Amino acid sequence: MSAMPAQFEMSFADALLNADRPVPCGITAHNAAIPTRRFAVYRNNVAVGLRKALQSRFPVVEKIIGEEFFAAMALVYVREQPPRSPQLTTYGDELPAFIAAFEPARELPYLADVARLEAARTRSYHAADATPLGADHFAGFDTDAVAGIRIDMHPSTEIVRSPYPIVTIWAMNSGEQELAPIENWHGEDALISRPSPQVEIRALPPGGAAFLLALAAGLPLGRAAEAALAEEPNFNLTGNLAGLIGSGLVRDIVFPQPKK
Amino acid sequence: MFIVSNLPACAGVGFKPEHFRDILAAPQPLGFFEVHAENYMGAGGPPHAQLGALRERYTLSVHGVGLSIGSMEPLNREHLMRLKLLCERYQPESFSEHLAWSSHNDIYLNDLLPLPYTPQTLARVTEHIDEVQSALGRQMLLENPSTYIRFSESTIPEIDFLTEVSKRTGCGLLLDINNVFVSAKNHGAQPLAYLDSFPFDRVKEIHLGGHDEEVDEVGGPLLIDTHASPITEAVWSLYSHVIARAGALPTLIEWDNDVPDWPTLRHEATLAQNILSDASCASAA
Amino acid sequence: MNSKNVIANATIAGSFAAALAMITAPAFSAPKPPQPTMDKCYGIAMKGDNDCAAGAGTTCAGTASADYQGNAWKYVAKGTCTTIKTPKGTGSLEPIKS
Repeated sequence: MSAMPAQFEMSFADALLNADRPVPCGITAHNAAIPTRRFAVYRNNVAVGLRKALQSRFPVVEKIIGEEFFAAMALVYVREQPPRSPQLTTYGDELPAFIAAFEPARELPYLADVARLEAARTRSYHAADATPLGADHFAGFDTDAVAGIRIDMHPSTEIVRSPYPIVTIWAMNSGEQELAPIENWHGEDALISRPSPQVEIRALPPGGAAFLLALAAGLPLGRAAEAALAEEPNFNLTGNLAGLIGSGLVRDIVFPQPKK
Repeated sequence: MFIVSNLPACAGVGFKPEHFRDILAAPQPLGFFEVHAENYMGAGGPPHAQLGALRERYTLSVHGVGLSIGSMEPLNREHLMRLKLLCERYQPESFSEHLAWSSHNDIYLNDLLPLPYTPQTLARVTEHIDEVQSALGRQMLLENPSTYIRFSESTIPEIDFLTEVSKRTGCGLLLDINNVFVSAKNHGAQPLAYLDSFPFDRVKEIHLGGHDEEVDEVGGPLLIDTHASPITEAVWSLYSHVIARAGALPTLIEWDNDVPDWPTLRHEATLAQNILSDASCASAA
Repeated sequence: MNSKNVIANATIAGSFAAALAMITAPAFSAPKPPQPTMDKCYGIAMKGDNDCAAGAGTTCAGTASADYQGNAWKYVAKGTCTTIKTPKGTGSLEPIKS
């Protein structure tokens, strides 16, 4: 009596992800009793296909640690955290956290944050389209109301904060900048956005991340500026507003409700 | 309204973003482009900008790779809704999927996995296709898989299985001739014999692609459906045989790994077009 | 907003005005605004093919590479990390015992 089809799926799936499991019974070949190499084709397709998905999403991480290391690490990740959705563009959202706890990578403390930047980059790439508001929308505000303005951020906006120079590391490993030793080792907060069809990545000025994150969380302008000042006494509001508008991060302006 | 699959009986190619610049630089003498649905399920960004531009200029086929129709588990409703959204957004002339499964227990295995052919699986696949067609409001095409193993519990020949599903659901069939060749060689069977009993009247599209050749542990051929190389002579000859018997059919060139430059890929489509020998295809765009 | 604001409304309004001046002022530094090219309109990366790859791919194809067996000895860095100089040195990834 043969197993129920659903049972078959279960043992098939299990043996796919665990290479030490035997080929499930009931699987045959016309010329061999136990078709190990044939079944291995499926195992390879799953492992290599998912590894390639991660490679295409994390090219800089791969460049930093090398192809072999990345492939070996990806294999462990695929086994521990296989995708939950056929939409593979989102696969690997948890890879940064995985890297942070991955013993063989402990000597590269910045690697997890570089992975966070790359994951954010793909999210930004696939985010909803929107035309950012041009500079002309920001003139002539009522002075009394200006602190209460809230900013509806462009959907492609992502911010990754790090105690490591992740933007410089990313730029040097993605061909944006020449690869060289980083003499000035300091933390960098990354702004990832896609105001035009191309994703742009830049390092934020001091307090910039606190300011943008506060705005993204829905705080009004005055409060966001205070939050940035609290974190960074040298926070430059003018420069950061210019960055906010000039980088195309504003989808819409929400004016405060008039007081009753 | 029920939209029936409607591709021109011409050669088309699978779209790859690296060819976008070349494709838009000049009108291409191609019947249609096909894209993998799952690559266009983000909210926006360059993939949609490119697909939108392509769709404005060419006939479009959407080919799903992740719906897991052959699974005994229920279909992923969220995924089905994403497909529906995509079809509504781009109104493709055709939608197709595979006789295979790829999800189990909420884990997506990212491969087209085989299923045993039994009365139970036939009933399940039929239910799933009914569900897909009614959710999308359109006919779908079901593709024959390339397989590397067999199930001892299978009782229904693959062609009978496909024919019966098509009869019960009204879905069309997508005949992948490379898959026929790969599977036949892997199972010690004759590809020509398979093709000669295929129900051509239900076929709405043909796929052609390249494969790799390896050997199994006893030295027998183990062909792998890699879509990473030109179509082989053997597959071209089977294709000519099918077109001679069935008449011109929409024909897609699939090249998904080690993607070549645009002229090389287009050359494969020209070879298919020469076999179809229909002069009206150049203006089908 | 009420009087407890640390930053005066006038300061914020002034910053806005100054910010707009920053954005629009340097007209002479860019005499010809670049024409949007086809590549730019569709988000095609000019350097490398990074942006094309940013969407993890799905195909209906299989692979001929054999790679499903894990090997701990592969955890030896051969990438650029050897040139990324941190305050604690470049960091070396060594094979782990498993």
